[in-house]
Amino acid sequence: MAWPKKDDPPTHHPEPSPAAPPRPAAPTPSPAPVASPSSSHEPPRRTDRATIGPSIFIKGDLSGEEDLVIEGRVEGKVDLKQNNVTVGKNGKVHADVFGKVVTIEGEVTGNVYAREQAILRQSGAIQGNIQAPRVVLEDGSRFKGSIDMEAPKDMGGPPSRDREPRPEPHRVETSQVEAAGVKAGA
Amino acid sequence: MSWFSSRGASSGKEQASRVQTLAEPDVHRSLALAALFDEIRGRKVQVLDLGPAVGSNVEFLSQFGCKLYIEDLYAALSSRTALGEGELSGPAFFAEFLAVPEETRFDVIFAWDLFNYLQRKELVHFAALLRRHCDRGARLFALMSILKTMPAQPYRFKIQDEQTLIYERRTAAERPSPRYVPSEITDAFKGFRVDRSFLLRHGIQEFLLAKD
Repeated sequence: MAWPKKDDPPTHHPEPSPAAPPRPAAPTPSPAPVASPSSSHEPPRRTDRATIGPSIFIKGDLSGEEDLVIEGRVEGKVDLKQNNVTVGKNGKVHADVFGKVVTIEGEVTGNVYAREQAILRQSGAIQGNIQAPRVVLEDGSRFKGSIDMEAPKDMGGPPSRDREPRPEPHRVETSQVEAAGVKAGA
Repeated sequence: MSWFSSRGASSGKEQASRVQTLAEPDVHRSLALAALFDEIRGRKVQVLDLGPAVGSNVEFLSQFGCKLYIEDLYAALSSRTALGEGELSGPAFFAEFLAVPEETRFDVIFAWDLFNYLQRKELVHFAALLRRHCDRGARLFALMSILKTMPAQPYRFKIQDEQTLIYERRTAAERPSPRYVPSEITDAFKGFRVDRSFLLRHGIQEFLLAKD
């Protein structure tokens, strides 16, 4: 699986599914159901959300204006301050994550900044700091870092970075990808 | 071994279910905890929790408006042992474990019962590191076993309210307890004094140490 080369014409997909050749018999990789028995903490889900499938690897910044589910790998920065971000059970994120409600079911190495709430599910792991007015840690989840439950005053940037991990400056090695309202780029 | 797999082969779900299948958690009054919360009420404090991440503790501590650092010491020790790096952990291990900037200061440290699982030399090394990150008046909450044996793994503690702790056993296995006496604690934690100490009926001595 590879992203289109820089010279390739931009392609638009209704869902950011892997850009592999179409395989009629194979179902399009779709996110694992993100609903869980304890999903009562979550706000009602919007239907317009983008998904980064399990086979996708993005190196660079992600921004957009709709909810996002990450089931693949992301290195860089996830910046959807006005929307909900879910790192699914298969998701591995090495990045700072900005969102309204940020739900972690997979693995995050980086800082999490949530405007409303950060939720670390039982299957989830965070190595980094959390800043959110409300934080939910489910039993069995793994967390190493600090939690600051003061509401972030300015989501434009991390208020304090006093601990590793500090992701490297964001680089984009793939071409710009734009799908379903979610952009990957510098 | 990555941090994400540092707890060995068993998943969090398996661990959680194992906890539930053990004996019902014990609920005990904590006099030192009550004293601690009296002292920090109304202050914005920085808290270091050396136990595993426990959601209910995070929720409870949120009322104090604190900044909470969670560093699971036993998981780090277990990971090191699993890697065959020896049982005795020196200053380098602890410095790597608590990799916070030099200027970070903690007002409250929850050590729970973890000191029972450190050897005396390890206690001295760890205490020296904690001392550097505490200003005068900082409090350290520790529970020492006075019984001959104790659980083979530390309890998982949940704060039920300001004076009640829930003790969840993680294993039915037992191991000898070091039975540190108060003088050994104060020798190891030079720069701290015993602010409060309570001997509880279930074989635990609570210590609230204060940084001089």
